Amino acid sequence: MKKFLPLIILAILCILPLIGLSSYVMHIFILVLMWSVIGMGWNILGGYTGQVSFGHAAFFGMGAYTSGLLYQHLGISAWWGLPVCVVILTVLSLIIGYICLRLRGAYFALATLALGEVCRVAAENLVGFTQGNMGIMLRERTWVDKTWYFYVILIIAAGAFFLIKQVMESKLGYYFVAIREDQDAAESLGINTTFYKTISLCLSGVLTGIAGAFYMNYMGYIDPSMVFALSEVSIATVMVVMVGGAATYWGPLVGAVIMVFLAEVIRSLPHIGAAHQTIFGIILIFIIMFLPNGIVGDYRKLLKPFKSRKGASS
Amino acid sequence: MAQLELFLQTLISGFLLGGLYALIALGMALIMGVMRVINLAHGDFMMIAMYIAYWLFTFFGIDPYVSVLIAGPALFLFGLAIQKYLLTPVMKVESILPHNQVILTVGLAMVFSNLATVLFTGNYRSTPVSYASSAWYLTDYWKNSPIELSLSMPWTISFIISVMITIGLWIFLTKTDTGKSIRATAQDLDAALLMGVNVNWVRMVTFGIGLVLVAVAGCLFLPIYYLYPALGKQFTNIGFVIAVIGGMGSTNGAVIGGLILGIFESMTATYIGMGWAPAGRFSIFVAALVFLPGGVASILKKRRLGA
Amino acid sequence: MKRFSVIAACMFLLSLFAPQLFAQDVLKFGIPLPLTGTNAKFGEIEKKSYEIALEEINAKGGIKGKKVVLEFEDSQGKPEISRSIVERLIDVKKQPVIFGEYSSSSSKAVAAVAEERKVPYLVVTGATDDITQQKYKYVFRMNPTNAYYATGFMSFLKEVVKPKTIAILYESSDFGTSGAEDMVKQAAKVGMKVLVKEQYEKGAVDFKPILSKVKAAKPDVIYMVSYVMDAALLMRQIKELRIDSNLYAGGAAGFAIPEFIQNAKEASDLVVTATLWSPQVAYPGAKEYAEKYKKLYKDYPSYHGAEAYSALYIIKNVLERAKSWKPDDIRIAFKATDMMTAFGPIKFEDKDGYTNQNFMDTLVMQVIKGKHETIWPEKYASTKYVYPIPKWRDRK
Repeated sequence: MKKFLPLIILAILCILPLIGLSSYVMHIFILVLMWSVIGMGWNILGGYTGQVSFGHAAFFGMGAYTSGLLYQHLGISAWWGLPVCVVILTVLSLIIGYICLRLRGAYFALATLALGEVCRVAAENLVGFTQGNMGIMLRERTWVDKTWYFYVILIIAAGAFFLIKQVMESKLGYYFVAIREDQDAAESLGINTTFYKTISLCLSGVLTGIAGAFYMNYMGYIDPSMVFALSEVSIATVMVVMVGGAATYWGPLVGAVIMVFLAEVIRSLPHIGAAHQTIFGIILIFIIMFLPNGIVGDYRKLLKPFKSRKGASS
Repeated sequence: MAQLELFLQTLISGFLLGGLYALIALGMALIMGVMRVINLAHGDFMMIAMYIAYWLFTFFGIDPYVSVLIAGPALFLFGLAIQKYLLTPVMKVESILPHNQVILTVGLAMVFSNLATVLFTGNYRSTPVSYASSAWYLTDYWKNSPIELSLSMPWTISFIISVMITIGLWIFLTKTDTGKSIRATAQDLDAALLMGVNVNWVRMVTFGIGLVLVAVAGCLFLPIYYLYPALGKQFTNIGFVIAVIGGMGSTNGAVIGGLILGIFESMTATYIGMGWAPAGRFSIFVAALVFLPGGVASILKKRRLGA
Repeated sequence: MKRFSVIAACMFLLSLFAPQLFAQDVLKFGIPLPLTGTNAKFGEIEKKSYEIALEEINAKGGIKGKKVVLEFEDSQGKPEISRSIVERLIDVKKQPVIFGEYSSSSSKAVAAVAEERKVPYLVVTGATDDITQQKYKYVFRMNPTNAYYATGFMSFLKEVVKPKTIAILYESSDFGTSGAEDMVKQAAKVGMKVLVKEQYEKGAVDFKPILSKVKAAKPDVIYMVSYVMDAALLMRQIKELRIDSNLYAGGAAGFAIPEFIQNAKEASDLVVTATLWSPQVAYPGAKEYAEKYKKLYKDYPSYHGAEAYSALYIIKNVLERAKSWKPDDIRIAFKATDMMTAFGPIKFEDKDGYTNQNFMDTLVMQVIKGKHETIWPEKYASTKYVYPIPKWRDRK
């Protein structure tokens, strides 16, 4: 049963648009899927290889701008951004990797944070090239109806999920985890940690970038403060994966579901709406203190209060 | 002549700015050094202190410089509490990713800045004290000066107070027992434990002191700038950039790093363009991480060891 | 955690089945505004102004006999949230006309959504030119664009100040960037040389480096485009550095609200700003609205408030003339609009590359004795302008 779980969920998601949900609900689902792609991307580098990045907005924004700039300067459809950004994001990942991967732990995190901000400021200032804060707007989006967007992101998400599963079940995944657990030990065992960390970073970056390119096509309008944002993208990504469960297959999806739904619900409540960041902050603190492996990772801990009430000893 | 004036004025601005930056970074460096915690909520603590100073000014007419004596201790106690109830437990929790306390401070930052927005509204506040735009002008004292230089009064006062506090901190760290315990813990945790230092208590006190420093910075900053709930983030950024440039955990490095950053930013703003200043800040950060991981402190150490 | 998510899921599901809005005798409108975030101040001014108009309109019987109800939705100043709010208003609540939003980028995002869903959208405040340069059929803008913000100001420069050089400082937002670009074009038209053009990030602490650069260049006019606090800080630091130029001018927004004077104090004296409206203007209802706002909220409203106040009246006018309340009929009614509001005359024209754009005179205000006075054009002036202005050293 467990083995078929991914396929079952995939089948349900495929049928979803056909039930006839309102476009607002479709929007929520699309966001959930997009965030799970971003989360899965981050998870490769952060959860599995142990390199916590606070700058994934750099990849997301770069993907979005690849699409946007192709449209703006070459006049071609923004969808070309998806294949092109694979190349661009690989290059970006290599550059970022060269600068940052020599750093460990929290310093790596800070460095990625800094680079994310550098990207944002660059995009804001190169007004001639990126239009700065005037942003890039698609004259008209490909489809008004959300159904096709849903299927596109579903394919991307499913692809990402299966890709990660394949990678993690292969030798590559083994190396990633070895690096996370003890980088020096891994190095002394002959694993070329720099090489594998770089691969991990490239996979992570490309996946996140594809989500960004999708975002450009879906939203129709981007500007640096939206796609290179520190809180709304980089930190949100970390939250999605931490809440869901780092280093698990389902973690990013669960995290995306919770975070997106929570964000919408809280935003619509009249007075509490303004306090949503406070609530998220509290959730983050709570998770860090009691469920550091997220919901998927620590679900046994979650069930403990329910089990002990029944009086059973585990 | 105009170019010389431009250069000197930029240098002065950079220096004064750097002094303030240094104060912010000092707190962060101390916390980093002793507790190995990167406090990404540092700027938000500064924001809290600024609100305290603001309300004191609005309701009781207390000058922000005087509020230093109130906001400082308040934040010290607040720091003790956070260290005891939030930071210490997190350091003990087992998890796949070891960077939990960084993420914890991120959560704290979110809570503080958003709570402030909800409670105090996003309105910009300022404390328009009478000397806010006053300055000393070179031509007032030297009538025939070929150039005009101005030294802003509130900026200069802040700078002087920063210097005094830095010297005070230095004396505290080198001459008092507590200070020495703190430095010992920063240098080698286990050795300090063996020598009988109460490490838990030292950690709490350090966090408290780190916050006091940033609270002072906030109060000094209030007359020069303005206040809004989200201002924490940019000062947290400045804090860790300097902490890295100066050398993780090095207080001397933080001071020098602060001055370097202040002057660098001013020069970038004048000669390259102001929009690039934040990028410049981060570029220098990354450059330091890559080329000089030990920061300025490692240069200082090399000289002392005679290498 | 589990229980919480169940409750959350229930609330979410409930919100999906929100009742139809155009039922019975109540007319409900959802208005997206930045009620939190950096533009919260302006969102607040507009919300209060909408409410004043609402109360007046309902007191006179509402729109076609139906009482009007307004629901403000917080977009937090983020275009993606504005967009999702408007999609919900159109798709779920079936609102046949959209109006609201404050910033240029949010208005732009909403305009795109409205156009593709073929629902008319009235732009109230967003000033970036390209919103009405896209040949959108469903987007109507009542406020002049950035390119026209400065027309009144330019005529003041041409006739009174006659400057040869100008320095432009602007914040890096959409509003700031387009405002600066437009000033560059205007300067070329009157033969003014742009000596310095510098962008800064909102929230900057120390402007003295670029101000020193400006000082070294010695421009006749210093023109700044910024929102609230940067405006005050810029002037304070200009005073500190004793930069003497013939005129200090702002491109509306942060320079045109009372907070500027409160925060910059003496540094704000004699600063001139372009503006779209002022409380002293002679349009019908303007003074009454300004006084009403002042009585309730202690300060005069800025032009943003006047825009919001008049927007509701425009909607009333359009809905009363429309053949039916289907989006396409409302659009036809919009196109035929020709009315006068407290903000000024409203007529949507296709001119100069703009579609459905309202064109209006813009004004110039100057801070005289701690208050914003309208000084130009002279037919709208509340008092005579002060020019030339004394050097900093010679001021009290």
